[in-house]
Amino acid sequence: MNGPSIKEPILELRNIVFGYRLRKGENIRIFDDLSLDVKYAEFIGIAGPSGCGKSTLIRIMAGLIKPEKGEVLFRGKPLKKPTPRIGIMFQSPALFPWYTVLENVMLALIHEKDLSENDKIERARVFLDMVGLTAFESAYPAELSGGMKARVALARALVSQPDLLLMDEPFSNLDPLTAISLRREVESLWLNQSMPPSSVVMVSHDIEELVELCDRIIVLTKRPAKIAGVVEVDLDRPRQRRSPEFYKYVDEIYTLLS
Amino acid sequence: MAILEELLTILAAVGMSWARMTVALIVSIIFSLCVGIPAAVNRVVEKIVIPALDILQSIPILSFFPIALYVFIIIHPVIGPELAAIFLIFTSQAWNIAFGVYKSVRLIPPELLEASNALDLGLWRRLSSLYIPAAFPGIASNLPPSWANGLYFLVACEIITIGEAEWSLFGIGTLSTSYIMAGRVIEFIASLVVVVAAVILTNLLVFIPVMRLSERYKFEERAAEIPRVWIERVSGWLSRMARRISFSLSPRITLFELRIPSGAPRILLITALAVVVTLLGHSISGRVSAGVTLAWAQDIVEAFQRLGVVDPLVMIGFSLARVSAAVAFALLWTLPVAILIYEKGMLEKILIPLFQIIASFPATLILPLIAKAVVDLGLPLELGALLMILLGTQWYLLFFLLDGLRGIPYEEEEVCKALAMTRLQKLRHLYLPRMLPSLIMGLIVCFGGGWNTLVIAERAILGEFTWDLGSPGIGRMLSIAVDEGDLALLIAATIWMAGFIVLLNRLLWRRLYEKAVKMVGVA
Ligand SMILES: Nc1ncnc2c1ncn2[C@@H]1O[C@H](COP(=O)(O)OP(=O)(O)O)[C@@H](O)[C@H]1O
Ligand SMILES: [Mg+2]
Repeated sequence: MNGPSIKEPILELRNIVFGYRLRKGENIRIFDDLSLDVKYAEFIGIAGPSGCGKSTLIRIMAGLIKPEKGEVLFRGKPLKKPTPRIGIMFQSPALFPWYTVLENVMLALIHEKDLSENDKIERARVFLDMVGLTAFESAYPAELSGGMKARVALARALVSQPDLLLMDEPFSNLDPLTAISLRREVESLWLNQSMPPSSVVMVSHDIEELVELCDRIIVLTKRPAKIAGVVEVDLDRPRQRRSPEFYKYVDEIYTLLS
Repeated sequence: MAILEELLTILAAVGMSWARMTVALIVSIIFSLCVGIPAAVNRVVEKIVIPALDILQSIPILSFFPIALYVFIIIHPVIGPELAAIFLIFTSQAWNIAFGVYKSVRLIPPELLEASNALDLGLWRRLSSLYIPAAFPGIASNLPPSWANGLYFLVACEIITIGEAEWSLFGIGTLSTSYIMAGRVIEFIASLVVVVAAVILTNLLVFIPVMRLSERYKFEERAAEIPRVWIERVSGWLSRMARRISFSLSPRITLFELRIPSGAPRILLITALAVVVTLLGHSISGRVSAGVTLAWAQDIVEAFQRLGVVDPLVMIGFSLARVSAAVAFALLWTLPVAILIYEKGMLEKILIPLFQIIASFPATLILPLIAKAVVDLGLPLELGALLMILLGTQWYLLFFLLDGLRGIPYEEEEVCKALAMTRLQKLRHLYLPRMLPSLIMGLIVCFGGGWNTLVIAERAILGEFTWDLGSPGIGRMLSIAVDEGDLALLIAATIWMAGFIVLLNRLLWRRLYEKAVKMVGVA
């Protein structure tokens, strides 16, 4: 099997209740008592019908949104606000157009008081190298392709060496070839135990992508989202999409979704 | 019933002034569309129009007025003063709307432009289905400041004295000034109250509903819907009432839907153009002979010689210091207030409509009071001037800053939050870069407004009382020239002032703006 075997939770969601307040005073329920764990060294996938609250879930995990009720525990302690120990990659790259690629990545080191400016540059370069963008460190986001922007966003999410990486449909806006190579990179980073992150949570509507990468896939129901089922994928990596075993898992998830 | 009669007079005066401003506003909007859209679409036109707008914006309106009046009286002696007043109000309302149109049209996503190219839409279809709707938010958000600006100069343009000759048009500017002159405090206060009420009603009934409607036409997407605030709820209710009334009067009036029959704007446009061209041709060929023109030219050259070089420069220096001080002060309070308004979503909902109303308050109406108070209390006169300039300019800065902040994409906010930035870090890495182009744009407009106000702030005749700073100032020079009926001197001083302002814009502001746009990477 893959990854280290410390099966303790790194992130725990306990009895989460959350809803958005609409302007007419209505409240749309997104989660009504949802609980789940993310373990150390685990790659978790989240699937669910569109609009069920997957992005909301990622934001709750990142500490960007506070649940109305329930607890979010990160490494055993309540998560009150976002921390550099959790990296997040949004659906859109959301880079600052006025900063270069390098500066955008360095922005995630803003809290590293112990690092000198040079150390920060060094560190940012290591991660830019990892995503294959060394040559573009002084380019501006406007000069980059969609795939390159996504790589910068990945480098920015990882440069603070987080224990947990959250990704909200990270590859959905990319062309298929770029998506394949980025998936490989994320997987090898996660497999590399000397490098962050220890655990990954990925939201995706691409079921095959989930089966290819995840140890465990949590399938959510329609709003208010409940867990429709959990699928543990027991295949050797790198996983071959064409094998019959692979498709058994894909079918299982589709069944849970419908 | 003397009181009732007086009140009716005030109401009629406000009605007249409002009618003047409405005509001017409509002309401003048509002008802005005719100029802003081509500038946003065509590089060549942009290169001509934007500098031209710059220059027009920097010409001090009040100094321009006697010249315009003169021209319009040549065109038609009876309606000339009326046309001149409308023209002056137009010049105070049009430029920021034109910039707004230009900016909004520039925001059209390239894909949409390509799509409309691919569909091979005709010019008119493209205008009506793409450019004009795209320009709508730029127009709508500039309505309150333009109205405020028009109101600011309304008071000054309803009465004008050039030397011995005096024209006065019936309107609230004339009326309130006559109250002050006669020392009729109660009537003066009553007229103030009516004006403020009319401004509030105009905002609630027209501008706020139009702005709300224009939200739909914006290209940037908002992350979450903004709940309606109390003041807008009132305005929504009022506009529904107004709509019901207008519907019952005439079911075809669809003012609030803004559905103008498609042929109408074109006809309006052509008519307007035809009128302007005929009038110009008429005035140039028929009434003004070559000899008169030559004599004018000689007078103006002579006026330049009288002025010399050092004196105008000293005056401009003093005036520049005054405007700079006022703008610096305006920046000092608007920057934190804008950020605060933005940060507290709650504050925005209450403050923006409130500010629009406060900003529309006709400062020139209380200007005599400032002057009197400063003199009576023995405060430094410069303080009074500073206050007057501030009253005329600070709101622009606030509006522009808020505009810049409101354009911040939600994702960028979220990234800052995810990176756990402190407020100061967020200010540095997100707010300031995002605000920079609008900040500079706001400063440009603010300086422009400041120069305009100088003509009143440095020297003004208020009935029996003359407000005069005494120290040098180009605005003071203009005011003296008007007083003496010295048109040539007035033109010469105006050219000095406008020339300097244009130079400042070209050499400083425009460059700064371009640098900022380039640095920030967003237009
Ligand atoms: N800021 C918000 N305010 C109000 N409703 C929201 C907000 N964000 C999302 N929603 C609503 O909550 C539901 C879940 O959204 P989201 O978490 O983005 O779903 P998913 O990512 O699964 O498609 C959707 O119906 C969406 O319309
Ligand atoms: Mg989503």
